Amino acid sequence: MRIVSFLEDTAGSAKKIFSKFSIEGKIGVCGIALIVAIAILAPLISGYSPAKITGGSLEAPSSTHLLGTDELGMDIWSQICYGARMSLFIGLAVALIAGIGGGALGILAGCLGGTVDQLLMRSVDILLALPSFPLLIVISAFMGPSIFNVILILVFFSWAKPARIIRSQTLSIKTNTYITAAKNFGATPFYLLRRHILPEVLPVLFVSIISITSYAIIAETGLAFLGLGDPTSKSWGMMLHYATGFKSIYFTPFWQWWLIPPLVALIFLLLCLAFIGRDLEQVLDPRLRQAGGA
Amino acid sequence: MALLEVTDLKCSYALDEACVRAVDGISFSVNPGEIIGIVGESGSGKTTTALSIMHLLGDKANVSGKIVYNGQDISALPEKEMDRLRWTEIAMVFQNGLEVLNPVMTVGTQVAEPMQKHCNISPDAAKVRCADLFSKVGLDRSWMDAYPHQLSGGMRQRVLLAMALSCDPKLLILDEVTSAVDAFTRKEIRELLYDLQCSRGMSMIIISHDLSFVSSLASNLIVLYSGRVVECGPTRALINGPRHPYSRGLVNATPDIFIYKDLWGIPGDTAGDTPTGCPFYKRCTQAIEQCRQSPPSLKPCGEGREIACHRGGIATLMKAADLRFRYTLPDKKTLQALDGVDLEVHEGEVLAVVGQTGSGKSTLAHVLAGILCPEKGTVLFQEGNVHEGHNGHRFGGIQIVFQDPFTSTSNRFTVQDAVREPLDINRIGNPDERLARTRDVLELVRLPSTAQFLDRYCSELSGGQRQRVALARALIMKPRLLIADEITSALDVSTAANILRLLKGLQNRRGFAMIYISHDLTLTLKIADRIAVMNAGRIVETGNAHDVMLAPHDEYTKRLVGSRIGLCCHEHPHKPEGTAPEKTPAVLSGEDRQ
Amino acid sequence: MQMTKSDKQEIIFRFALTLLVLLALNFLLPRMMPGDPFSTTSSDVQGEEVVVMTQEQREYYTHYYGLDLPQHEQFVVYLSNLAHGDLGQSIYYKMPVTRVILLHLPWTILIVLCATALSLLIGVTLGMISARNRKKGSDRIMMAFLISFAEIPSFLLGIIILLIFGVYLHMFPLAGAVTPFAHYNSVFDQAGDIAYHAALPILTLSLAQLTGVYLLTRNSLISVSTKDYIRTARAKGLGEHIVWTRHALKNALLPVVTRTGFMIGILMGGAVLVENVFSYPGIGSTLNSAVVGRDYPLIQGILLVVAVAILVCNLLVDRVYRHLDPRVGE
Repeated sequence: MRIVSFLEDTAGSAKKIFSKFSIEGKIGVCGIALIVAIAILAPLISGYSPAKITGGSLEAPSSTHLLGTDELGMDIWSQICYGARMSLFIGLAVALIAGIGGGALGILAGCLGGTVDQLLMRSVDILLALPSFPLLIVISAFMGPSIFNVILILVFFSWAKPARIIRSQTLSIKTNTYITAAKNFGATPFYLLRRHILPEVLPVLFVSIISITSYAIIAETGLAFLGLGDPTSKSWGMMLHYATGFKSIYFTPFWQWWLIPPLVALIFLLLCLAFIGRDLEQVLDPRLRQAGGA
Repeated sequence: MALLEVTDLKCSYALDEACVRAVDGISFSVNPGEIIGIVGESGSGKTTTALSIMHLLGDKANVSGKIVYNGQDISALPEKEMDRLRWTEIAMVFQNGLEVLNPVMTVGTQVAEPMQKHCNISPDAAKVRCADLFSKVGLDRSWMDAYPHQLSGGMRQRVLLAMALSCDPKLLILDEVTSAVDAFTRKEIRELLYDLQCSRGMSMIIISHDLSFVSSLASNLIVLYSGRVVECGPTRALINGPRHPYSRGLVNATPDIFIYKDLWGIPGDTAGDTPTGCPFYKRCTQAIEQCRQSPPSLKPCGEGREIACHRGGIATLMKAADLRFRYTLPDKKTLQALDGVDLEVHEGEVLAVVGQTGSGKSTLAHVLAGILCPEKGTVLFQEGNVHEGHNGHRFGGIQIVFQDPFTSTSNRFTVQDAVREPLDINRIGNPDERLARTRDVLELVRLPSTAQFLDRYCSELSGGQRQRVALARALIMKPRLLIADEITSALDVSTAANILRLLKGLQNRRGFAMIYISHDLTLTLKIADRIAVMNAGRIVETGNAHDVMLAPHDEYTKRLVGSRIGLCCHEHPHKPEGTAPEKTPAVLSGEDRQ
Repeated sequence: MQMTKSDKQEIIFRFALTLLVLLALNFLLPRMMPGDPFSTTSSDVQGEEVVVMTQEQREYYTHYYGLDLPQHEQFVVYLSNLAHGDLGQSIYYKMPVTRVILLHLPWTILIVLCATALSLLIGVTLGMISARNRKKGSDRIMMAFLISFAEIPSFLLGIIILLIFGVYLHMFPLAGAVTPFAHYNSVFDQAGDIAYHAALPILTLSLAQLTGVYLLTRNSLISVSTKDYIRTARAKGLGEHIVWTRHALKNALLPVVTRTGFMIGILMGGAVLVENVFSYPGIGSTLNSAVVGRDYPLIQGILLVVAVAILVCNLLVDRVYRHLDPRVGE
């Protein structure tokens, strides 16, 4: 029962939030929905398997191959469709794990304080001070290409920011005297967490998750672009890698249908995420300022 | 010719939904060498007025009206011309805040900055002058190289003062300069400003909600409420006898003007004023229908004072003229109880009538209440003669509470019967309504309103409780004037104190006028606005409570005041009759107050 | 104004700790790999770079890594090597890592510094204009445009720019830092050639950071202009110009200074990808080919240099900021 009402509440507030979005935000939501649809319905709309050779090499777009074929003769439109799955999956996986994990650590550090807090903060400081992208490259080079490794590395580099933000939020909530009053009435830590801390923290967490998703997609694309991604993953980044790796790509017309689609698709996805993230921050912000008083 | 003349100044801000009228038609003038004070609560438009004079409001504000400085109309002056006036002619000392000074520049640089721009002097000379200014405001020169965040609040305020004086302006505007400083600094600032006025003939506009500070310097006061002037006039006259209900409330709420009087605030708060009528309508205790419909304009009312009120200020509620009353004693002798008494009671005020036993106070009370008919003289209450109107029979009339609670309430009556008696007699409302009103009024006087208590007989109650019942009975008729005839003399000290506080609280909230009759002079100081001293059937002295008590003119009053005995915080040397006590506490005389 | 001793200590401590972690990572990474480090160099996935190790090289590297010593002693060896400035020998280039780095680093520094300067210049100017014209419609359009721009990652932007200016318009070269086998008549010619080749990478990098600087300047200026001390300055009749420059800008540009330091760090990280897009022979490209060829000493060397450079940058920015803002460090 609780779960049902919780879901209803979430749906209700989601609707309210969406209605407050600006035009760009609404476009963003629709765009994401479109990409998700493409990803889910990939087998239906693509027609071919992306990993099989179904046409001649570097054929121009035609009625059989909507976006032509690549060097090996694999259909590009199918690669785009299945690539959507990959990008979304990696982005969301990293964002959820790093966001929720980092958030949980942040709450833990904020609540417990003391050595746990100090330890966490030192780690966060160091992690944020390290140059992430070069390290990312090196570590993934050493660890070998696989989706699992990519996700793992990206989580490693992105849990620090949400942890820090949520920790400072928890700290500021803790100083409010309504927490002292609740404790005085005999509230357990679980109660405080559920009733006071989580409602404050969740909006910030959502915004963090969106931004981590963007970061993860960009990072994975970057790694793939350099050749460090999973070659079987068929992500858009990998497509870019093969396209730019093709000698004389720029001196032939092939870039028009091999290079542009993944480029456009990536930019579109990132822009949608950015619009949503920005609007979400604006909508949730005044409430953040009213309640909790940070 | 006035140095600064402001006519019909209006400033409004356009916010998201509505237009906020911060200043709604203010006019005043400042003469050369004069200090005027602008007082009011926060949000009354004081700072906005100051900023608009100097054109500092920015483009988000709409400013209209005429501002004439030194004969020149500066209302629509372009920025470049205004810059020439700024600081050299008109300077402003801002309210102290964390970011009033640039955090990345030293305070010395910031003080010297306008000098270099306007006064055409070398940087070194500016530094020297800056050092002079610093020592003048009481700051050590070494602080010139400090940054704003290194100074305390009081020091920053002094820096702001030094900065304002740097180009020797003719008009100085000070905005809440004492709000963040301690008492010593406040006094020093006051001395400095006074000295500036005397030595340099500097004119000043002092804006503050601190009435004491303003009254120590300003010769004229302007009282602002919700962006409009409600009253203005000479400082002493205004504070001694405020004519507008709001000014009166302000004075009552300032602790160190009338130091013996208890502190009372103005009921209600500023949020939500009436757009169409008088801005003070919601909190005014003497409002009439016209007050809701149209805002009053500022009109002169004598002695250089002006007031904005449809009723001409605090209205006279009751006017008694030449009252005479004679008792015939059994042995055919007559006792002239009232021998030509003139009295005025104003709306919402507490008038204390003080005198000895046998001075005729109670007789006066009865006559004023309409119980006794005077031989000669008239008592006018709300335009009608008291004796012709049935003022005790209706709401909004006159009620009286007597001295002895044991005889003013019947032993046989229950509490409920006693309290609702006036309603029963006049058949007001149905029984349920009467019961409801009884309950309400019992809560007002802090008595239980349970059925159990309502059914108790008055004989079972203590003196204090019975007096409260009598009070409740009087209040259930919602009087506009309540006459309290020595209501605490039959009670013990603690009960008396409680009743007194209760009564004064009700009076403050409900806004009815009260004639408080007592023989205890000191007690009346706590609650009375005015005191009338009575002796042998005549009023020998009337005036502001503190004036009468602390600087009495009449011999009898002096003797009365000097008859205080016992231990207290002051010294009361026991001198023979006729001489005033040696030590008098600080007096409200502006001339020799320093 | 004075930094307390504990503050200084805190910063140095942090710096040292981060450096230590970096060095440890650098040290541990190759050792965390399964098997021996040399087996992977002799075969690889792409089939592009095949390096065969000779017996001498094997022996050299065994000695260099101190693989015949226990782990902690290896670390000491590593550290002492570092202290001598010996970063090892590059497998691919067959010369000391330090030399390889010194050959390629200047190109990266060139484009990063130019990009920083360019984005600062344009970003601050646009930000100032935007802050003045806050309400106008044209400002909102510009802001929306710039914000959208910021979301596109730098290397994707680079590809687009390359396609437009290099491929489609044929305005700029597609690769390299200088024209191969070029013969210059004068220094200006050489400088011109360098600029010609560096133009697109610099453009890409500066566009990537432009929006950040723009938004920061704009918001900082807007928030400063509402502060009380601006009103005080205006009340003093100082004139718009002085109010603007001495009071508003001085305060508003403080955050931009901090941002510059971080920007250099971000750009150095992003240079890897951008250099790859433009085939620009900076340190990023070198890292890329080192990774592909599993040239461990080179990888470690580059990583170290880049990381130290970023750390030093941050430290410098911190010092400069403390000097500019007297409120910090109290």
